[in-house]
Amino acid sequence: MVTVADAGGGGLTLRLLEMGFVPGTVVTLVKRAPFGDPLEFQVRGCHISLRAAEASCVRTEPA
Amino acid sequence: MSAAPVAAELRVALAGNPNVGKTSLFNELTGSRHKVGNYAGVTVETREGAVAARWQPTRSVTVVDLPGTYSLTPVSEDEAVAFRCLHGDEGPPPDLIVLVVDAANLARNLYLAMQLCELGRPLVLALNMMDVAAEAGVPVDAAALSRALGLPVLPTVARTGEGIAALVQEICRFGQVPWDMAEVRGRLFGTPLPAGLAALPPARARWLVAAQASETLGLTGATAEERAALAGVDAGELRALAAALVIGRYAEVDRALAQIGHRGGERAPAMDHSARIDRVLTHRVWGLLIFLVVMALLFQSIFAWAEPLMGVIEAAIAWLSGQVKAGLGPGLFTDLLSEGVIAGVGNVLVFVPQIALLFLFIGLLEDTGYMARAAFLIDRLMARVGLHGKAFVPLLSGFACAIPAILGTRTISGFRDRLVTIMMIPFMSCSARLPVYVLLISALFDGEARVGPFTQASLVLLAMYVLSTVSALAVGAIYKRTLLRSPTPALVLELPPYRLPRVRNTLLQVYDRTADFVRDAGTVILAMTVVLWALLSFPRPPEAVRAGDPVELVAALESPIEHSLGGQFGKLIEPALTPMGQDFRMGVAIVGSFAAREVFVSTLGLVYGIEADDEDNQPLRQALREAKAADGRPRYSPLSGLALMVFFVYACQCMSTLAVVRRETRSWRWPLLMFVSMTALAYAMAVGVFQVGRLLGY
Repeated sequence: MVTVADAGGGGLTLRLLEMGFVPGTVVTLVKRAPFGDPLEFQVRGCHISLRAAEASCVRTEPA
Repeated sequence: MSAAPVAAELRVALAGNPNVGKTSLFNELTGSRHKVGNYAGVTVETREGAVAARWQPTRSVTVVDLPGTYSLTPVSEDEAVAFRCLHGDEGPPPDLIVLVVDAANLARNLYLAMQLCELGRPLVLALNMMDVAAEAGVPVDAAALSRALGLPVLPTVARTGEGIAALVQEICRFGQVPWDMAEVRGRLFGTPLPAGLAALPPARARWLVAAQASETLGLTGATAEERAALAGVDAGELRALAAALVIGRYAEVDRALAQIGHRGGERAPAMDHSARIDRVLTHRVWGLLIFLVVMALLFQSIFAWAEPLMGVIEAAIAWLSGQVKAGLGPGLFTDLLSEGVIAGVGNVLVFVPQIALLFLFIGLLEDTGYMARAAFLIDRLMARVGLHGKAFVPLLSGFACAIPAILGTRTISGFRDRLVTIMMIPFMSCSARLPVYVLLISALFDGEARVGPFTQASLVLLAMYVLSTVSALAVGAIYKRTLLRSPTPALVLELPPYRLPRVRNTLLQVYDRTADFVRDAGTVILAMTVVLWALLSFPRPPEAVRAGDPVELVAALESPIEHSLGGQFGKLIEPALTPMGQDFRMGVAIVGSFAAREVFVSTLGLVYGIEADDEDNQPLRQALREAKAADGRPRYSPLSGLALMVFFVYACQCMSTLAVVRRETRSWRWPLLMFVSMTALAYAMAVGVFQVGRLLGY
């Protein structure tokens, strides 16, 4: 998946951008936590965990 | 031009992402011992140390260790502290910044380099973990990176000390080499700011824009003029600008990486190995099972492994006390020394093996990277309370001690969330409660009884920890929905690569933390024990007793402590203690333990030491087990022990905790609420347990 842009605005958007979810970046879903949430993503060489609700702020399109 | 005097002290700030070996580098540089963690936010406070002589610095250099942060945007207090320190908002700014980056993960790590570049302060890049990068197949050409960024880049391996001598040399050459980041800065400042903000220092203006966009302006200490300037900008425009700044920095990172022909930007080479481990450790079934087994193992081992060492310490203290008695002969001073000083400190020292084991476990979990996985596994449950998975780490640290745990909440963004976590932490069963549990369990429960592979004693202990954890979560949920209502904070958590813990660092950390406990024991507890010994010894029994009046003598042998001030107070509150199955002796110990929980054990030792003058060398647990009530039945039953342990689960008996909470919340309101609510709850729960237990026929 390729990040397109962050929906919304404010602190969470900025945080996600800073952690590497910038437009054009390839994002891979690695796995889900045992209780179904949060999710583990690979982005810019590291593994970042986000809740599904937060991950939905990142708009993606298939690479 | 005459150079600045070489003798002038150089202040160097150490910045970097979490988990890049920054604290290891700091320890190597300064030769001092500090906590090395592998979890975001272990280093919360800034620390200072002089560069050690072994690196042969040619001038005096002081290193300041900043909190590990991903960026300088003030999302939590960590970043705010780092920025203010670097920008010179608090005291003079450092002469030089050393940014520690993970060579195996430049694509994300260099983002912070761009923000530091904007500051315009001299900057040196320490390219750490070069060995890991080479092994992962993404070697970095330090010279090329130096040219691409326009700043000195030095390869290091903090774990082995490789490259540190060269880094120190580079630091000492400060002022003699030109620093040219103008090109990169020029591009970074390409994004224009609104007219109202253009007059501010460029780095600070950008920082405030980000703070305003993420609604954390409160962390920045912005002046009225700055606030006015920000208020003049349209909110949507501001957010777009903040985003554009981040995107611009990453574009600059990508440019530099492309220039040096670096590959592996999208891959996570350092994580290859960890991802395989995670297939098991964060597996939906195995991951949870392993999590539970790790925790169960921890509690079982605290009991099983510590026992022999405890025996040795017990014997040593008994021997010392006996020697003092034999050497000094009977008298008030002998009593003070053997029953106050030696017995008091000994009763605390005996639990050192267990506390050290607990710290060892927590240290290993932190250093290996498992702690972040634990947060990942448990976030769903934390989110149900309304908290961040990150709150798990301070809460888990609360099992060791509430003081560092409360300090550790600084990584939690949002004051309300932080406050909720702070209010929960004292419910976590800290190590100071452990001596109380251990004493009561081993005195009042059958050590041989087993349930499956586990002893009854360890299961009771586990139950206390489960009770405290569940209660903490329930209390958190209640605060989150009432006094401190706020939305669940976002989880943005890095799962760092697994690393083998450095045994030396972990053991030093265990030593430091245990020594802390003992130091506290040595000062607070020693003082308390002596004061309490006096309270329990004076006034002395009436002359008639010593003269040998038979009737009075019998009464006195029964409990001479009743004559003392402490005994009288204990008797005063005894009616309130009876419903929870305790007598005035426990009452005296409970009153003493409100200063600090661990005092409970030494007070009880004192109570029984005075009572059973002839059996002074006998361990306390024996005394408790054999204590008889007036009617000849055992004075304490497993049920009364359980009620007392439940009291200790809930009661806030730690002056230090209250002091730290006051400092962190900047008001007496929260510590006061904490103390009153916890004590009331403790009493109610203990009474409940004892009464229900009795109804059930125990």
